[in-house]
Amino acid sequence: MRTILVGALALCLATPTTAQEQSAEATLDALDARITRLEDLNQIERLQRAYGYFVDKGQWTHLSNLFADDATLEIGGKGIFVGRPRVLEYMQTAFGPDGASPGVLANHMQFQTVVNVSADGRRAWLRGRAFVMSNAGWGLPLYEDEFEKGDDGVWRISRLTGPFTMYTNWQGWGENALNNTWPDKFNPPPDLPPSTVYLTYPAYYIAPFHYPNPVTGEPFRPDVGTVGAYHRPPGTAEQVESLGLGRQADGTQAIALPPQE
Amino acid sequence: MTHLPNNPVRGELVEPRDAARRGAAIRASTSSARTAILAVLAFATAQPALAQNASPESRLADFRTRVERLEDQDQIELLQASYGYYFDKGLWTEVAQLFSADGRFEYGQRGVYIGRERIRRSLLLFGPEGLSPGRLNNHMQLQAIITVAPDGRTATARWQGMVMLAQPGVNGQWGVGVYENQYVKEAGVWKIASLHFYPMAQTDYDAGWMRGATQMDGPSALFPPDAPPTEVYRSYPSNYIPPFSYPHPVTGEPITLVQPRDDIAGRE
Repeated sequence: MRTILVGALALCLATPTTAQEQSAEATLDALDARITRLEDLNQIERLQRAYGYFVDKGQWTHLSNLFADDATLEIGGKGIFVGRPRVLEYMQTAFGPDGASPGVLANHMQFQTVVNVSADGRRAWLRGRAFVMSNAGWGLPLYEDEFEKGDDGVWRISRLTGPFTMYTNWQGWGENALNNTWPDKFNPPPDLPPSTVYLTYPAYYIAPFHYPNPVTGEPFRPDVGTVGAYHRPPGTAEQVESLGLGRQADGTQAIALPPQE
Repeated sequence: MTHLPNNPVRGELVEPRDAARRGAAIRASTSSARTAILAVLAFATAQPALAQNASPESRLADFRTRVERLEDQDQIELLQASYGYYFDKGLWTEVAQLFSADGRFEYGQRGVYIGRERIRRSLLLFGPEGLSPGRLNNHMQLQAIITVAPDGRTATARWQGMVMLAQPGVNGQWGVGVYENQYVKEAGVWKIASLHFYPMAQTDYDAGWMRGATQMDGPSALFPPDAPPTEVYRSYPSNYIPPFSYPHPVTGEPITLVQPRDDIAGRE
């Protein structure tokens, strides 16, 4: 890259005609955009990792300040919270006031991020995962988050979506798997119902990808004919039977049958 | 801070010295740096003719600084990952060579060892060179938040450290902790100036945290440290918060903390 820069500079200095000045200027603009994109990718990763460190230690005010004013947050099956104040209320009501309480281990370690920035550099998306190591056991939330760069040039989380893959106690997922978080399971109630419903492990649910296959460039579309939520291991009669139950248009299945009169 | 792709003047007025500050501000987001940048931007917006005349040389100097900071960050990631791979296998000589001459090594409550040779010998407290049969000593280096100083000579980083341990005749152990490290670039090479691992929790593989949390080792009597622990705390079920080396990524303010009470460490 340095060679290219020097070349562009030499060209510009040697022949300062208008056309070539514009060409050198365009080269510099393109380089600027590429460097900015790398800086943006780093900053998005940094935000997601900082979010994880704040969760680990119950730093809810610091955590909520990572969000844009009108950001939304949806974790597990609990529904959607709208706006930064509600993000803070959710955390402080559901998990206690700010601070690291004795006896609590709540590590949400942030791994395996895939970040993409929009062409205009104002929005970005991240797929990542948390490996949860807690006093209660183990967990695997996934993330499909959105970020926006404000007029002040600062990146913020504009949407956090954290569907659960698997939660279990210390016995492990071979022995024991926990349900998804239902909207009515604990306070506060969400502003909006969940964007989709699904079951956690041993059910099979694929959170939609924000980006296409990096090699083929094709978007990934879940096969709604053979995948979806079920409540028994693959291959069992109960699982096969459950494949056809209550499936929704996007291939997911409701966590319970609709209420009967 | 402050890259505004839609702003035609962005990056065109900034002199190299300011560019260095701006590059750092992207990572550090200090409020003072942000104020400076906003001032520069406001000035640029007010005088677009001047911005148009920003020389290719000054733009290249800006790019060079920003690319160097990105390269610095990559190099620190490589350095710390290598530390982990060497530490896993008891390659103590390799580990010690990653430190600067006056480098500091602090693991939990064992105290501080200072200088490469002292560090190399202290690592024998974790097992013989190359470990020994049946030992597992995995110390994973994850979730980096690296902050390179504006001048590119020093850096800090926070890491998440998952730990898996085993030795013959003893059940396996799970552990987890946080690193807050300092780095220095000497003659173009990044080295560890200070490595501080804060174990947060450790337990027997079968028991789990609720039934079997174990505590950290104290200073060795056989090979005492050069300085006592810089921070006194207990691991799980206590919940100490290793102070953050970086400012808040959005507000740019220092991350203030209230430590949990601890009657032994004397925190009320």
